[in-house]
Amino acid sequence: MSIVKKPGAIANWYLPGIFAGMWFTLVTMIRNIFNQDKMITKNYPEDKYEYSPRFKGNHVLTVKKDGSLRCTACMLCATACPADCIKIKASEHENPAVEKYPISYEIDILRCVYCGYCEEACPVDAVRMGPEWQTPGLAGTNFSYDIQHLAYRAQLKGGVLSRVDDEERHKAGI
Amino acid sequence: MEIKLLSEHYDKPEFQGLDGYKKLGGYEPLKKAFQMQPKAIIEMVKESGLRGRGGAGFPTGVKWGFLPDNGEPRYLLCNADEGEPGTFKDRLMMERAPHQLIEGMIISAFAVGSHKGYIYIRGEYNEPTAILQKAIAEAYDAGLLGKNILGSGFDFDLDVYQGAGAYICGEETGMISSLEGKKGQPKLKPPFPAVQGYLGKPTIVNNVETLAAVKYIIRDGADGYRKHGTEKSAGTKLFSVSGNVMKPGTYEVPLGYKLMDLINIECGGLKPGRKLKAVIPGGSSAPVLTAAECADATMDYENLAQKGTMLGSGAVIIIDDTNCMVDMLKVILHFYHHESCGQCTPCREGTGWLHKIVSSIYSGTGRLQDIDLIQQVADHMAGKTICALSDAAAMPAVSFVQKFRSEFEFYVREGRSKVKGAVDAQV
Amino acid sequence: MPKCKINGQEVEVEAGTTIIEAFKKLDSEIAHYCYHPGLSVAGVCRLCMVEIEGNPRLQIACNTVVQDGMVINNNSEKVKETVKWGLDFHLINHPLDCPICDQAGECELQIQYMKFGQYDPEMAEPKVKKNKVVDLGSKIVLDSERCILCSRCVRFTEEVSKTNELGIFNRGDRSEIGTFDGKPLENDYAVNTVDICPVGALTSKDFRFRQRVWYLKNKETVCPGCSTGCNVKSYYNEEGLFRVKPRQNDEVNGYWMCDKGRDTYKFVNKENRLLEPKVGQSGQWDSQEVDGVMSVMSTKIDDAVKSAGSDKVALVLTGQYTSEEYASMLSYFVGHLKSKNVYHWVNNPESFDEFDGLLLRGDRNPNTKGLLNGLDQHGITAPWSDLETKLNAGDIEVLLVAGPEDPSVFPTLTEKVSLFSKAKNLFWMSAAKTEAADSATTKTWQIPLKTYAEKEGTFVNHKGIEQKIQPMVNIVDCAQTLSEVASALSGQKVDHLGSLVKDRKTNHFINHHGGGL
Repeated sequence: MSIVKKPGAIANWYLPGIFAGMWFTLVTMIRNIFNQDKMITKNYPEDKYEYSPRFKGNHVLTVKKDGSLRCTACMLCATACPADCIKIKASEHENPAVEKYPISYEIDILRCVYCGYCEEACPVDAVRMGPEWQTPGLAGTNFSYDIQHLAYRAQLKGGVLSRVDDEERHKAGI
Repeated sequence: MEIKLLSEHYDKPEFQGLDGYKKLGGYEPLKKAFQMQPKAIIEMVKESGLRGRGGAGFPTGVKWGFLPDNGEPRYLLCNADEGEPGTFKDRLMMERAPHQLIEGMIISAFAVGSHKGYIYIRGEYNEPTAILQKAIAEAYDAGLLGKNILGSGFDFDLDVYQGAGAYICGEETGMISSLEGKKGQPKLKPPFPAVQGYLGKPTIVNNVETLAAVKYIIRDGADGYRKHGTEKSAGTKLFSVSGNVMKPGTYEVPLGYKLMDLINIECGGLKPGRKLKAVIPGGSSAPVLTAAECADATMDYENLAQKGTMLGSGAVIIIDDTNCMVDMLKVILHFYHHESCGQCTPCREGTGWLHKIVSSIYSGTGRLQDIDLIQQVADHMAGKTICALSDAAAMPAVSFVQKFRSEFEFYVREGRSKVKGAVDAQV
Repeated sequence: MPKCKINGQEVEVEAGTTIIEAFKKLDSEIAHYCYHPGLSVAGVCRLCMVEIEGNPRLQIACNTVVQDGMVINNNSEKVKETVKWGLDFHLINHPLDCPICDQAGECELQIQYMKFGQYDPEMAEPKVKKNKVVDLGSKIVLDSERCILCSRCVRFTEEVSKTNELGIFNRGDRSEIGTFDGKPLENDYAVNTVDICPVGALTSKDFRFRQRVWYLKNKETVCPGCSTGCNVKSYYNEEGLFRVKPRQNDEVNGYWMCDKGRDTYKFVNKENRLLEPKVGQSGQWDSQEVDGVMSVMSTKIDDAVKSAGSDKVALVLTGQYTSEEYASMLSYFVGHLKSKNVYHWVNNPESFDEFDGLLLRGDRNPNTKGLLNGLDQHGITAPWSDLETKLNAGDIEVLLVAGPEDPSVFPTLTEKVSLFSKAKNLFWMSAAKTEAADSATTKTWQIPLKTYAEKEGTFVNHKGIEQKIQPMVNIVDCAQTLSEVASALSGQKVDHLGSLVKDRKTNHFINHHGGGL
């Protein structure tokens, strides 16, 4: 519960406050003009902020050495997703060592809350949150990202390799 | 001192044939048995104190008494699936004296009222099978098997069934499964074979030596048999002695005989310059005895049980100081891993696990905690399964690790055996 | 009757009861894999260990008969430790492929691990490798690595289906389930092995990878596949039904159901359904509103009755609907129209009385008995040949057909539709979208009906046992039940649940969006 104070007599006379605020703005503006490199705000979009590579932005589906999807369509990400934005359809893979793979994997990015639960839930390091954070789209752009976008979009330069080695896992009986 | 009761004429080649066997007093006890009441024979066997020679040492007469009196056909099975590593006495008995076994079986069948018997013989025993088959044919020709044996009015048919070489078929219910044409896997008990065995009918399963001994009980009477051996372990027993002794072989000694005497007198002692390290007194599944424990050990059911091991099938394996116990255990566990039938989970997975742990110690990649793990795994296998195979694998594992822990620890730390000879052999 | 004490609770059981059955009777928890009440005792998983007072060795509960005065527990430290290790033995060679295993979520290993396990694994050695994705025929896939060799499936083929396809091959930890000589597992009850498999070793090809089980809800219902009326659980979500599994009812189906019954979920789903009413003939069809069709039907019937008498109107019923629906339809016909022109359409007369000896009956309708009861009550005895004569003579003005819910059990559907086409107006009511119905050559109105998964009611099985079904999904919004049709025809308004409403305005929002079933 917020407590609202009754304004006093001086505060009711608001002009000093306004001038104080304008003075602050003016001083800051002049300082910024002469010290542009210390300025906090950026001249987006010409000037972009450098995020940490560990920033949890847009999803990436990792790939195996041969370029195929790491995802086994276990649907744990979809189960963990609080926004219910992941839709997966599984199918039988022709290679019995792979067995199950997603024929469709869609993330409705407009529903996504970037909580990162999908990444945490994934048992095989198949879905990660990448450092990309700009996802602008024009009218009519599809915000439902499919496998093509999630795993092989141009920015990923051929896909992100999963650190899980399949052969190693197989040998260990996992 | 060796007492030759069962093995009296084993060194005479003619004992194998029917004529020679008869000449040396064969089939006389059978005639005597036919004069008696079946109940009286069972009583006599009970009084004689004869205990199963296959491994468990269960009193034979008591076992026979379990048969239900319900008029169902009964089966008498002879367990000749001698698979325990270190045991070879049954083979000798069947090769040298097939008629001794047949006679023992006829008497036993008469006592328990069975008209059909099988000798379930091990898959690898081709020669004894041929000898037994020949002897059975002779017996049929002489009217000793078949209808109205020797005019007594008693019918008994006997067949030899050769297994496929699975160790587990030496377990009585496993053997019954195999004989029924199923996969050789032990069955749940209860019901016990004496109530529901072969084809669901009351069945008695006895070891070769047990059945052969029945003949001598009839011949000498219960007291005559009892005069050998100790109070609770009566009679004589054939021991298959193998390992690092001068004269390995099968020796018949009375139960209660001193282990050291068996080694030093009968078997001619150890090789010169070697020291006794350990003895496995009852086949590979029996816990091992250290040299110190061997000093006052006597070969009977009670004394060995008191020492935490067992007489088993009488396979005495002598281990001298050139043998590495890790290697030994690895070989034993490999056997049980290979022979587990795979029915019960603790045994199926546990035998494999134990074998893998010991193998990794043997190959130098073991961890110190593996030594404790062997004991833990073995503890949780033993006594948790349908048959005793898991115990058979667990008991040597526990005893080896307990009694020779330093060797295992040395192996893990150094990645090589503590015993010099064994390392040389390894290379 | 021996009395025993289980975990401090006194229980009296019948002589010969095993300890595990006594535990079940008490609803007391006991771990087990190989024990199944419908199969013989194998005693191989060694997990149902109990401590019996006076016995130093733990005993398995599944093969130990309760004796009077036994004091049994399975919550001592000794038992817990043994069960924990028993579970560990099961898991040391079990692959950790839960993510791709269809059993995940209903796997006994997972359940037991969460209850009894939760330890750090001690096993540091390589696991045993076995065959994966083994094709066992058209219905089942085997994964030997996941198998815990409980032998339930082997015992099932030995004892229940008596087909003996499965066996355990090899020994020790190399043991594998398999079929001899690669002979497929193709009997009519094969998928039961998937149900009883406690792990994901046997998976059904039909259900494989289609859903994770935790996305599915289930409701108890009755299989509409034949007149046995097996008690089943249907698994569904908002997309439709995904699979059917049997549930125990000793009087009807024991623990099993046939594989034909497992297909009964398919005709419920949208792709096989008639989605809206339509009017037309010979392949030319126009969509219609339900209310419109109902009023047309009502007018047509009234006109026919007024002009030529109620003999010109006929009703054909199949054994696929609930007793309640029959009752309302028959009371409309007999009570309202004063007509006994009602005929029983037997879908497969040749094989109608067959029985495979276990569960599956030749009468592939769930409620033939209910229909016959209804017809009996109204004294309707007209044979099928009467209808054929009348149709051939062109005597039928309006024909109402409550057609197949599951068209796959109607082998002569096309011929029957061409017979019905001899009526001047055909009202074809069916849940299914069929080419046969679309080929009708007379003026035809097709009206979508609800399937067994969308309505409640009663099926009477071949023995006369009445069993309730319950609604679980709502696949086709505008679908009707026969009761709703009968009410509409007799001028009563019904709401979307089929209950009568007097002069209430239809709330379209509720009808179309808030179905709430």
